[in-house]
Amino acid sequence: MQERILEILSEYCEEALTYNGDSMMEDGIIDSFTVINVVSDLEDEFDIEIDAKYVIAENFRNKEAIIALVQKLLEE
Amino acid sequence: MDMNTAFQRILILGYGKVTGEVLQYVCGRREEYGYRIEFIEHEIHPFSVTEQICATHKIPYRRITDKRELAAYLGQIEEKTLLISASNNFLFPASLVEKPHITIINFHNALLPAYPGRNAPTWVIYMGEKRTGITWHYVTAGVDEGSIIIQKECGITPDMKAYELTERLMDLAAEAFRESFAQIMAESVKAREQGFDPGRRMYRSFEVPSDGTFAMTDRPEEIYRLLRSVDYGKNNIFPPVKTTVDGQAAEILRYRKIPIDKRKDGEELLYLPLDGGNLLKIKYHFI
Repeated sequence: MQERILEILSEYCEEALTYNGDSMMEDGIIDSFTVINVVSDLEDEFDIEIDAKYVIAENFRNKEAIIALVQKLLEE
Repeated sequence: MDMNTAFQRILILGYGKVTGEVLQYVCGRREEYGYRIEFIEHEIHPFSVTEQICATHKIPYRRITDKRELAAYLGQIEEKTLLISASNNFLFPASLVEKPHITIINFHNALLPAYPGRNAPTWVIYMGEKRTGITWHYVTAGVDEGSIIIQKECGITPDMKAYELTERLMDLAAEAFRESFAQIMAESVKAREQGFDPGRRMYRSFEVPSDGTFAMTDRPEEIYRLLRSVDYGKNNIFPPVKTTVDGQAAEILRYRKIPIDKRKDGEELLYLPLDGGNLLKIKYHFI
């Protein structure tokens, strides 16, 4: 699962894979448009619905946060 | 050296990528021109970085979400001010627009006089336009009626979604703003009147293409265009598109154009044939 998430992320923003901080948005690594694309691909890949309430900067602060979000939604 | 301007103050109002770009550009020219800058956030967005840009560049930041409070705040401005409405849905009252010491410019995400009003990227996609663009114009008392400062065009690709077009238009708007900034500041823009038909259609915020529904008998290409036209990711600008599947009402969760060999049947999934040998994959749920 992690590998596939990282593949999706790298399609839109390779820098996100090597980013070690905790706010990709504020640090200009990703923007809201990248998030839309990533969310759309994650939903399709894992057949999950990522509700708007989860699409916040906190859940996209780094790759680990994105992986944790998908993991959580898959377990629900 | 001071550049040529009589503006003492620049006030920026808006959200999103274009606002951030405008804010940073105006900030970068502050020393040359000697104006002071202020930013007002009127609509709050989950991924907004304008507050952070303001903090980094020491730009006074205010959050005024109430329309009346905002109108009152703007109404008390006494200095010669350029008000930049970068990506903003607040309608400026006529009493403010008519003040001689206030100049307001606005970014509209279509080629005015075409597609005035709200959600222009949606309507150009839905109507099957091949090209669109952006307009920076002076603000008058009427909505999107002021004379044009600058326009830039771009193409609409066959699979483009509303959010993708919005991003492209924001990039164009930032580019156009930088190009015309010196003339705006010098008040030397050769603005041109829009020359529109007074009966032109104004798109309202509550209007949804095709009333947000489709029938299974509609052409798949038209369904795809409708879905793309209201697709702003999770921003919920429009309610989910609805249809009827096997006699039951259903809401569309997501969709995707896929090659025919990627078809994987499953529950609450539809596949419709698109031109060029592709499929429109639609995930829905019953409501």
